[in-house]
Amino acid sequence: MIYLDNASTTPVAREVVETMLAALRDTYGNPSSGHRAGLDAARLLERARAIVAAALQADPDEVVFTSGGTEANNLALQGAVRADGRPGGHLVVSPIEHSSVLETAAFLEGQGVAVTRLPVDGEGRVDPDDVRRALRPDTRLVSIAPANHEVGTVQPVDAIAAACADAGIPLHLDACQAFTRVAFPADLATLVSVNGHKIHGPKGVGVLRVRRGFPLPPLLHGGGQEGGLRSGTPNVPAIAGFGRAVQLASPAENARQAGLRDAFLDRAQEALPGARVFGSRTDRLCNNACVGFDGVPGRELVVALDRLGIQVSRGSACASGSTRPSAVLTAMGVPATVALTAIRVSVGRTTTMDDIEAAIAALKRVVASMRGGR
Amino acid sequence: MSAERLDLRGVKCPANAARALLRLECMDAGQELELWLDDGEPIDSVPPSLEQEGHEIVDRDRQGMHWCLRVRARR
Repeated sequence: MIYLDNASTTPVAREVVETMLAALRDTYGNPSSGHRAGLDAARLLERARAIVAAALQADPDEVVFTSGGTEANNLALQGAVRADGRPGGHLVVSPIEHSSVLETAAFLEGQGVAVTRLPVDGEGRVDPDDVRRALRPDTRLVSIAPANHEVGTVQPVDAIAAACADAGIPLHLDACQAFTRVAFPADLATLVSVNGHKIHGPKGVGVLRVRRGFPLPPLLHGGGQEGGLRSGTPNVPAIAGFGRAVQLASPAENARQAGLRDAFLDRAQEALPGARVFGSRTDRLCNNACVGFDGVPGRELVVALDRLGIQVSRGSACASGSTRPSAVLTAMGVPATVALTAIRVSVGRTTTMDDIEAAIAALKRVVASMRGGR
Repeated sequence: MSAERLDLRGVKCPANAARALLRLECMDAGQELELWLDDGEPIDSVPPSLEQEGHEIVDRDRQGMHWCLRVRARR
């Protein structure tokens, strides 16, 4: 089996498994308890907090552990809109955000919040000038992913952050795909979401970095853990694993993955007529290749490749069952017939060049067969 | 050796002790940490946790509702 769906989720790294197993076995205390077992759990929790904080250029007190990226995004958007206690308000998002941002924005819209959905260009890039023009006196938050989850395009997020800073508007970065892979100005953002399972850590753990002093109200009420922002006993083994996964990330591994990505994109375009690449070739996540082959439905291609042991996806795992064209590609102006051909091939720590060669060989076989059968 | 500083005022127990221990683990033996704690449960519970790990409380000074401790990392 060749797993090329690392943008959906990644295999948990061996080192992370070992960290988590040790935590599960030996550190069972509640990290809020005042005895020795509680302190042992608190040490794991605080060690992971310090690691994530350093990676986000944040203070440990600014790191709020959540159940994942979706909860972090909900806390960010719902909290920011309610932060000053006034009804209404205005939210700015791009139309290519993850569903946990777009659906939360739609939910808030139903509650009377005005939502601006910015245009994107043909590669999925937001224009910082459009951000600047969209800002209003009642804008509560701008939410942008530094790198897109489907096509991998990296946003001009420094300029977007500058536009927000100039207007004094809080910026939220949904960095679940970008975290540890691409530089983004975490220090210029008020809120940053990241999670564990996109970086070879466990599922069920994420972080919202909340800039000190920002009056974010909680979604969950209870024991007041995580500085009062996320009540509930922390998932210490998963949090410890998340911290270990952050430690494992490296620029060298990112460069290796970028090489695999480029090899895949180059060979797909050389070997397969009618191949097209969605998103930017230059400003792109190191692990993401989003491609389509004229006349070959992506949905059928995913199934056919799976039969040959190659696992890829149509796009966001959260929307991959849909028969509609991708909302991301549609917003990029890709015609529906073309958007329906898209598949996402995403590499990870376990991917080798042999895997890429095997995927290209399988694609050649499957695409030829599917075209020949029509 | 110069003293490092760690301000744990406002940090609840036992996260304050955990953070103090993490910092002390990274320090050279004999180096001193200036540690700020809240009065009440923190000043009651954090110093024993540090001493249990072999670190030495060199000095403690009450400053209103807070405490300033000098802690020497274990040798």
